[in-house]
Amino acid sequence: MLNKTLMTALIGTAAVVSLSSAPRADEPYIPLVSKGFQHQFWQAVKLGAEQSAKKLNVKITFEGPETEAMVDKQIDMLAADLAKHPNAIGFAALDSKAAIPYLQKAQAEHIPVIAFDSGVDSDIPLTTCATDNIAAAGEAADKLAALIGDSGDVAAVVHDQTSRTGIDRRDGFVKRMKEKHPNIKIVSVQYGGGDHLKSAEITKAILQANPNLKGISGANEGSAIGVLIGVKELKRKVVVVGYDSGQDQINAIKSGEEAGAITQNPIGIGSCVVDSAVKALHNEKLPKVVDTGFYYYDKSNIDDPKIAAVLYK
Amino acid sequence: MTPLISVKDLSKSFPGVHALSHVHFELVPGEVHALVGENGAGKSTLMKIVSGVYSRDSGEILYNGEPVNFLSPRAAQDAGIGIIHQELNLVHHLTVAQNMFIGREPRGRWRVFLDEDKLNRQAREILERIGLRVDPRAVVGGLSIAKQQMVEIAKALSHHSRVLIMDEPPAALNAAEVAELFSIVRELKAAGVGIAYISHKLEEIKEISDRVTVLRDGQFVATVPTATTGLDRIIAMMVGRTLSETLRIERKSPQSEVALEVRNLNCAPLVRNVSFRVHRGEIVGFAGLMGAGRTEVARAVFGADKAQSGEIVVHGAAVRIKSPVDVVTAGIGYLSEDRKRFGLATGMDVESNVVMATLARYLSLKFFLRKQSIRESALAFIRLLNIRTPSPRQEVALLSGGNQQKIVVAKWLARNCDILFFDEPTRGIDVGAKAEIYRLLRTLADEGKAIVLISSELPEILQLSDRIVVMCEGRITGELMPAGATQERIMDLATERETAEAA
Amino acid sequence: MAQSDTAAVSLGKRTVVFGAQLFSSPAGQKLLAFGSLIVLVIYFAFASPAFLHIDNIIGILQSTAVNGVLAIASTFVIITGGIDLSVGCLMTFCAVAAGMVLSSWHLPLWISIVAAVGVGALSGTVSGTLVAKLKIPPFIATLGMMLVNKGLALVVSADKPIYFVDTPSFSQISQGSVIGYILPSVPIPNGVLILFVLAFAASVVLNRTALGRYTFALGSNEEAVRLSGVNVDAWKIAIYGLGGAICGIAGILIASRLNSAQPALGQGYELEAIAAVVIGGTSLSGGTGTILGTIIGAFIMSVLTNGLRILSVAQEWQIVVTGLIIILAVYADILRRRRI
Repeated sequence: MLNKTLMTALIGTAAVVSLSSAPRADEPYIPLVSKGFQHQFWQAVKLGAEQSAKKLNVKITFEGPETEAMVDKQIDMLAADLAKHPNAIGFAALDSKAAIPYLQKAQAEHIPVIAFDSGVDSDIPLTTCATDNIAAAGEAADKLAALIGDSGDVAAVVHDQTSRTGIDRRDGFVKRMKEKHPNIKIVSVQYGGGDHLKSAEITKAILQANPNLKGISGANEGSAIGVLIGVKELKRKVVVVGYDSGQDQINAIKSGEEAGAITQNPIGIGSCVVDSAVKALHNEKLPKVVDTGFYYYDKSNIDDPKIAAVLYK
Repeated sequence: MTPLISVKDLSKSFPGVHALSHVHFELVPGEVHALVGENGAGKSTLMKIVSGVYSRDSGEILYNGEPVNFLSPRAAQDAGIGIIHQELNLVHHLTVAQNMFIGREPRGRWRVFLDEDKLNRQAREILERIGLRVDPRAVVGGLSIAKQQMVEIAKALSHHSRVLIMDEPPAALNAAEVAELFSIVRELKAAGVGIAYISHKLEEIKEISDRVTVLRDGQFVATVPTATTGLDRIIAMMVGRTLSETLRIERKSPQSEVALEVRNLNCAPLVRNVSFRVHRGEIVGFAGLMGAGRTEVARAVFGADKAQSGEIVVHGAAVRIKSPVDVVTAGIGYLSEDRKRFGLATGMDVESNVVMATLARYLSLKFFLRKQSIRESALAFIRLLNIRTPSPRQEVALLSGGNQQKIVVAKWLARNCDILFFDEPTRGIDVGAKAEIYRLLRTLADEGKAIVLISSELPEILQLSDRIVVMCEGRITGELMPAGATQERIMDLATERETAEAA
Repeated sequence: MAQSDTAAVSLGKRTVVFGAQLFSSPAGQKLLAFGSLIVLVIYFAFASPAFLHIDNIIGILQSTAVNGVLAIASTFVIITGGIDLSVGCLMTFCAVAAGMVLSSWHLPLWISIVAAVGVGALSGTVSGTLVAKLKIPPFIATLGMMLVNKGLALVVSADKPIYFVDTPSFSQISQGSVIGYILPSVPIPNGVLILFVLAFAASVVLNRTALGRYTFALGSNEEAVRLSGVNVDAWKIAIYGLGGAICGIAGILIASRLNSAQPALGQGYELEAIAAVVIGGTSLSGGTGTILGTIIGAFIMSVLTNGLRILSVAQEWQIVVTGLIIILAVYADILRRRRI
C-alpha cells in the first residue's frame, strides 16, 4: 500500500542509524540520564561528558526529558538504559524517590551509579558530581554585599523550594548574609519557578513594596533574567547578582545592567561523571561528593579563558 | 374526510427575506399532493415548518383537525409526520438498520447495551414490506444514491408516519428507480398515508399526484386537480408568465470538424474501452443509468482520474493528459455534477468564482490582483448569462442553484474552452432557470463549441442532443440520432448488461 | 461484448480485490497497524538482545500505560470529529486533586480516586458544553480548557509537587502487581492491567451502547442525527465528559507511578495521545475508529522510542523518527480513504 521506494528508504535509514549507534563490544558504555536536554546548560554538560569520553575511550549517550517536570519520561529513560546492562550509568534525578527502585536494581547488578547536579537522596550512587550550591550562593551573597557597601535591604528570587538546588542556593545566600553581613536585611525571598515573566512580576512587586531596596539575587538563569526585566521596567537602580550564564545574562553583564553572576562548571560536571565512572570501573575509591567548582564573573573577567570555557550561551 | 394537514394563512420570515406569506395548504388521507414552484418559492420552507424543523411566525396548522405547534422535528415525527429531505439525512458510517432506528435503538441488557439483533430484525421487516433488497447490516456510505434514498423512505416508514413529506425525491434517480419509488408511493396511498411531494419534475408530478399546489415568491397561487390541469397552465402559474414552448428547436447543424476524439479509453474501475467523437458545434448527449460510467468518462478525459490507457485527440493533435492543468490548456472544461463540492468555492463571492480558472490574466506584476478588471469581467458575464445576483460581491452560497450553475459556466467560458462537458447541469434547478441553461447550451453550440451533455433526464437529452450516446456499466452500448430515439430505445441500450441478469 | 476472463485471471482479480478490501476496511487497517507493530518488535529483537528481556518489556508496558489511557480518552472525542487538547493538563489537575484529597485532607484512598475521576468528568463536561451549546470549535474550546486546567493545577498545588508518602497503598495502584502476585515471574505492573481493562470497557461502550453509537454518528453526519430528533448537544457533552473522566484515571495512574502529583507536568502529553490515536487508524475527520487501533498505536510509539533507545540512537534522532512515523501513518490513512 505504501510507496515501495519510501518503505525501502525508511528501512534502509533505520538500519544505518541503528547499526551505527550500537556500542562496540570493547568500549565501555556509559549512558547519562540528565534532568533536561534542550537547555544550553545540559548541552554543556553533554559536551564535557563527550570530551572526557573521547579521551578515555568510552562510549556514552546523553538523554533527558523535554522539560524538568516530566519525571515519568526520565524514569522511562533510566529503565531503558539499565535494560541495556551498561558498564556504568550517570543520573541527575528529577525526583529521587521515583528513581530509587531502579537504582537498587542497578546496584544489584553491580552497575556503578554516578549522580550529578542534584544528587539522589540515597547512598547508592558512588559519588555525586555537583556544584557546592551552598558555598556558591554564599559567594554570591558576599559579592552582592560588597557591591552595596555592606549594608541595606536586599531580596532573593529563587526558582523553587523543593529541589536540592533551590533549597541550597536559598539557604546558602541567607546563611552567609546572616553570618557575615549583619547590616544587610533580607526583606523578601520569593519563588518564581525559574520562569522569566513570573520572576519579573515578583521582582516588580518586591521593588514596589521596598523603595529603598539596594540589591537582588537571582538563584538561577531564568530567575536572574526575570529580575533584570523587572528592574528595567521599573527603572530602578538596583544591584543584581545572578546565577549560571546564558546569552541574556552575558549581554547584561557586558553592558553593566547586571553586576555579575555565579557560574557553575557544566562542562566540568559532564567530564567528572565520565571520569568518575571510569575510575569506578577500575575499582578506584571515590569521594562522596566531587565539587565541580563555581566562579564569580563580571565585566572584568568575563573574557578570561578559564571563565569563558564554562559559560554557555 | 378530515384533512390530515391543514395549513391556513401561514407566514414566515428569515432575516431580510419573506419566505412565506399567507400560504394555504391541505392534505387529505390517501392523497398525493404535489407542491411546485420555482427555486426560492418557499416549498421546502413550508414543509420544514409543518415537520417541525422551523417555527412559524403566524398562521395556523391543524393536524387531524387539531391545532398543533411542533417545536422540534422529533415532536412532529412522534406525532406521525415524517419528512425526507432533499439532502439525504443519512449517517454514512452507520449501517442501514442503525440509520433507520437512530434515536430509538432497541436496548438489550440492563438498558445500557444495544440489541443489534433486534435492530436488524425490525429493519429487515420494514425493508421487505417495501420490497427494498438491501442488507440491513450494509454500511450506508457504500450504497448507491438510489438505494440511499429508499433507505430514507424505509426510515420514515419505520416511524409509522401518517403523513410523509418528500422533498425532491427523484432528484438522483433514473427512470427505472423512479418507477420503483412510485409503486411504493401508491402502496402508501392505498394504506391511507397522505403524501406531500415537492418536485421540479413536472412529468412525474403529472403521473403520481392527485392535486398540485403552486407557490410563487412565497405566496400561495392556487391548488388544482392534476388530472384536469395542463402542464402549461401549471408552469404559467409557477413563473407568472407563459414560457415559450419547450419542444425541440431547430438550430445550426454541427460542423464537420472533429473537435474531440477519444479512443480506447480505459480507466478503472468504471470506464472500459470507450471511444467517441464530438464535432464542433455539436451537442452529444450521454445517456445511461446511474453508475453507467458517464461521469467517470468525463473525469478521465479531464484528467481528474488517472486513466490506464487511451488516446485523446483535440483538434487533430494528440494530447497527453496528466492532470486537469493539461486539459484546461487544451481547451476542455468540465462542469461537474456536484457543483457545490467541485465547481464552486461556496464561501467566496461571485466575481472570485468567475475568474477562478483564469486568475493569471488579472494579475499585475504576476502577483497583485487587478480588482477593477476582475469586476468588469464578472459584470460582463453576469449580463451575458443573466445571472440573478444583487452584486458581484454576493456570496455564492446564498444564490439559487440555477444561478450557481451559471456561475460555473461563466468560469469555463472565461477560460475560452471550446470543448465543454456538462454533467447534470440542470439538477435541482427550477423550470425557468432550466430553460435559460438550455438556451445557453444551444448558443454555445451555435458558436462552434463542442459539447458533451451528461444527463439522467431523458427528455432533456432528447430535446438538446444532435447525437445520443448510451452507456452501460462502463461501455458504450449504442449511438442514436434523436429522430429515431425514444425513451424505451434508450433504456434498452442503457440496460444492456454484460452478463445476463434476472430482471 | 468483451470475452469473459479466464478462470485464472478472474481468480487473480478476486484476490487483489479481496486484499484491497481487507486492508481498506477498518478491520484491515487494524491488521496493518498490528502488522507494523510486529515488524518493529521483530526488528528490535534482532538488533539487540536487551530488547526482549522481561525487564525491558515491562518497562515498555509501563511507559505506555499513561499515554494509552489518555489516547483512549481522546479516541472518543476524535471519532466525533472533534479534538481534545486538554487531556494532558487535565490529567495533571486530576492528579493534583487526588493529591489534595489524600495528602492534605487525609481522606480515604477511594475518595481520592472518586475526586480525580470526578474532576475529570466535570472538566470534560465543561468542554463539551462549550463545544455543543456555545458552538465554540473543539480546537479552541479544549485549548482554553487546557490552560484553565494547567493553571488550576498550579493554583491548587501552590506550585509544589504533592507527595504521597503517608499512603503507600496509593503507589500500589500503578506500581504494584496483581499479576505478579499470581505469577511471580511476570510482574506486570497494575497500571498496565488497568490500561487493558479500561481498553476493553471502552471498546464495549463504543460498540455496544447508545453513547458509542452516537459517537460514530456525530462524527459521520451531525446534521442528519440532529434532524432525526436525537438530542445531539446532550450526547456530545456526555462524550466529552466521558473523555474527561478517563483522563481522571490517567491522573491517578501517573500520580501513583511517581508517588507524587507533579503540577508542572502534563502539557505536551495530549499530542502524544493524539498521535497514538491517529497511528492506530482513527481519522481526524471522524466517523470511524477503534479502541484496539488506538492501543496498537500507543504501543507502536512506545516500542519505537524504547527500541531506538536500546540501540543507543541519539535522542534527537528518536524524535525525528517518531515524527516521520506519524506522517507515514496519516499518509497511509489517506491512501486507504481514497480507495473507498
